[in-house]
Amino acid sequence: MPKVTIDGQELEVPAGTTILQACQQRGREIPHYCYHDGLSIAGNCRMCLVEVEKQPKLVIGCYTPVAPGMIVHTESGKVKAARAAMMEFFLINHPLDCPICDQAGECRLQEYAVEHGDGRSRYTEPKLALSKAVDIGAHVMLDQERCIQCSRCIRFCDEVTKTGELAFFERGERSQIGIFPGKRLDNPYSGNVVDLCPVGALTLKEFRFATRVWYVKNTPTVCAGCARGCNVVVGVGQQQQLMTTRGQQDDRAKRIVPRVNADVNGWWICDEGRLSYLKEQQAVRLLSPRVGVGEAAYDDAVKSAAGKLQIAGRNGSLGAILSPRLVAEDVFAWKTALAAFGGALIGVRSILSGEDDELLVRRDKGANAKGALWILGEGATERRVLDAVASGKVKTVLVAGDTLDAADTAALEQASQGTVEVVFAGPFVSGAAANAAVAIPSASWSEADGTYVNFEGRAQRVRRCHLPLGEARPGWRIAADLLEAAGIAAPAWGASDDVLRDLGKAVREFQGITGESMGLLGVPAPTPAGA
Amino acid sequence: MERILTRNVGKEGSRTLAVYEAGGGYQALRKALSSMTPDAVTEEVKKSGLRGRGGAGFPTGLKWSFMPKEVDPKRPHYFLINADESEPGTFKDRLLMEEDPHLVLEGSLLGGYAIRASVVYIYIRGEFVRGAEILERAIAEAYAKGYAGRNILGSGWSCEVVVHRGAGAYICGEETALMSSLEGNRGYPRLKPPFPAASGVWGCPTTINNVETVANAPFILERGADWYLTVGKAPKNTGPKLYCLSGHVKRPGVYEAPMGLPLHELIYELGGGMLRDDRALKAVIPGGSSVPVLRADECEVDLDFDSLAAKGTMLGSAGLMVMDESVCMVAAMARIAHFYHHESCGQCTPCREGCGWLERVLARIEDGRGVPQDLDLLLSVSNNIIGNTICALGDAAAMPAISFVTKFRDEFQYHIDHKSCPTGTLAGRA
Repeated sequence: MPKVTIDGQELEVPAGTTILQACQQRGREIPHYCYHDGLSIAGNCRMCLVEVEKQPKLVIGCYTPVAPGMIVHTESGKVKAARAAMMEFFLINHPLDCPICDQAGECRLQEYAVEHGDGRSRYTEPKLALSKAVDIGAHVMLDQERCIQCSRCIRFCDEVTKTGELAFFERGERSQIGIFPGKRLDNPYSGNVVDLCPVGALTLKEFRFATRVWYVKNTPTVCAGCARGCNVVVGVGQQQQLMTTRGQQDDRAKRIVPRVNADVNGWWICDEGRLSYLKEQQAVRLLSPRVGVGEAAYDDAVKSAAGKLQIAGRNGSLGAILSPRLVAEDVFAWKTALAAFGGALIGVRSILSGEDDELLVRRDKGANAKGALWILGEGATERRVLDAVASGKVKTVLVAGDTLDAADTAALEQASQGTVEVVFAGPFVSGAAANAAVAIPSASWSEADGTYVNFEGRAQRVRRCHLPLGEARPGWRIAADLLEAAGIAAPAWGASDDVLRDLGKAVREFQGITGESMGLLGVPAPTPAGA
Repeated sequence: MERILTRNVGKEGSRTLAVYEAGGGYQALRKALSSMTPDAVTEEVKKSGLRGRGGAGFPTGLKWSFMPKEVDPKRPHYFLINADESEPGTFKDRLLMEEDPHLVLEGSLLGGYAIRASVVYIYIRGEFVRGAEILERAIAEAYAKGYAGRNILGSGWSCEVVVHRGAGAYICGEETALMSSLEGNRGYPRLKPPFPAASGVWGCPTTINNVETVANAPFILERGADWYLTVGKAPKNTGPKLYCLSGHVKRPGVYEAPMGLPLHELIYELGGGMLRDDRALKAVIPGGSSVPVLRADECEVDLDFDSLAAKGTMLGSAGLMVMDESVCMVAAMARIAHFYHHESCGQCTPCREGCGWLERVLARIEDGRGVPQDLDLLLSVSNNIIGNTICALGDAAAMPAISFVTKFRDEFQYHIDHKSCPTGTLAGRA
């Protein structure tokens, strides 16, 4: 491994490491725009120029590999002057429309201008006027004036999605990012170009003018869109009093952006996952408990539900259909509660749609399908419950979780021909909730902590991004309350971590998994038993 | 003085194979293929001291020696001829291609043989329609006579020759942008390393030479490196050289002379002197518009790589632009800046943003809207471009700006102070 000296500090890095990467590895950032870990090296922004002793010119840190004995200066006078010069160049034709730019507050141009710029411009000529708000795709808007031509978006479409919709047009200072005639930026990963854009040139239609980024509270969590379990950050609006007249609706998710996890999603997420919060927000929420057709107090609803489940459990006619999007804690809590009621035939819904693609999207939309099967066993299918309903063996069914698909109860209704008694615990008003004898609102994906296990068996942390709406509670809490209402000793769970601890004791695959051990990146699948 | 490179220029039928052969044409190729290894050819060119005529003056034989000695069948070698001649003030390659295409071809094949190429691409400037047609005809003749194509002259070496026309961008004369363009991509220069010999066109080992450079090869091979060293100023500035003379002289044109021709001799003897005898010499751009300008008092200089370097400028492409005292240096520089602004490819920041800035400030000064801090601004912006770009276009835009402002600062200052031009001309910008 070559030994190099960077800013007076000697370090050893693997051969082939670039100067920029070597600095990154020791937690020091060399400013850059065009370089991105997930893309090829373009070397066009010239922001990462550094000084290497015995080299006549400054070199770009993103492209220059370290060599044995190399002495690098990243903060010398020459380097600082070059950075200030680049900042000046970037800004001469930039519109400086930060007050109306969605990127403001998380804009590399702003950040570097403050950090490395001169604070003033010597440019007194008219700026170039280019097109603003160019609609280039289903989700993406382009502002050609703000663009600094780093080419990240072009390289993403060429190299990652391999769809090649974008290119440079014209040349020199008039060169601009554009879309090929007759094309639209409509690949299933198009939103990533917005994240990649270091400035406000590419913005997401769904996030434009929605809020200022400094009002957004960011929570690292895991996408519930499919079995991949992409690592994401959910941004929730916090500007209730300041910016909106829509009241409660504004303490809601404003956007989802990817979080880097080399073992799961790399740097990207799909558009469907990115916009999944909208689907949730558009669905009708179950805000308060119901018994029959009337609203009921939570305690009454719980008591009523517990009674029904207990009777059916004793009679051996109890079944349960759980969503594959329920966190492992909820699945375990329901399993525990149902067992205490006398046992039930439990099945997990299987939601399949489309095909696996080459990048991230999985056909299996069950974000925790694997975790549920770990807890309930391979045979726990929805089919076996429906069959038991059809044969009349199961007469009362607990439906738990947010399946969010219209077909969620169609099968159930068909199997029972309307004779089955449904106890519902979920976040949305779906067919099951509408027909339920008792319906209790539960927290949605973004409202409670928990654990998802992706298709590869990686356990990852789902976090509460904002408070539950209405009277919704975490599923495990409802399960425990049902037991208590039925007079059965309930486990002493105060938080989802307590449930996870018990789960780890009961199910081998979850052994040793804690919130802490999962951290931000999750823990890989345990080795199979006996291996 | 014996004309070497231009010996066929002006001859009846100079473009035909018959005339070329009658003058001893293709003997060098015959000799190399029958009695010399590729490495021996490279060695001879190395010994001759030939330096690239495209602008940088890199030793040609040394460049050829960077190529792998074995050909990986999956990575054929390519020999590229840079015939994109776009440097303002330069028109020597055009003359060679249009008047003596077989000389260019023989030189290309010799280089191709030396580097074990399987294809020679002649990347010709798109505007040179005539040159391209003439080359195509010459290539057809050469193929028919077995000088190109399969098993050339029975040597077992095969090499195709292809003319590729550019689409009109100055940047495509930059060697790596030329490769991108040849591949069918946008003409963007590439990051180096890798250098072309390691990974050039289509990622294969590639050598690229200027037209005039390869036109020297047949003479070196035919007459020997020792003879070549007697022409010009050995050891480092050898061989014959084509000088492109333009501007305020009586007889502009391409002149051949041994390397190291005194500038005065070119202007006052070959060029017939200043266009108007009542106007004094003011300045000369010695190597195409991208090199620093020489003031009249700096013009006691020999036109070769090292003599001009000692004067802080470059031989470049040997495009000499002579300016008499009627020239407004602000207008001249503004015009040069306009060119680089127009031709910057836009890939990297300093050149993309800086070239337009330079032009706008210069245009403003010329317009009488300059302010005192503009001169330091021009120097600062130029210095912020130089050395910080991917390719040399940024340097090419900044170097003349620095030299004009530094060497003719009084004249720039006059424009700012008096809102008018001391030359009294109304040289409007194009």
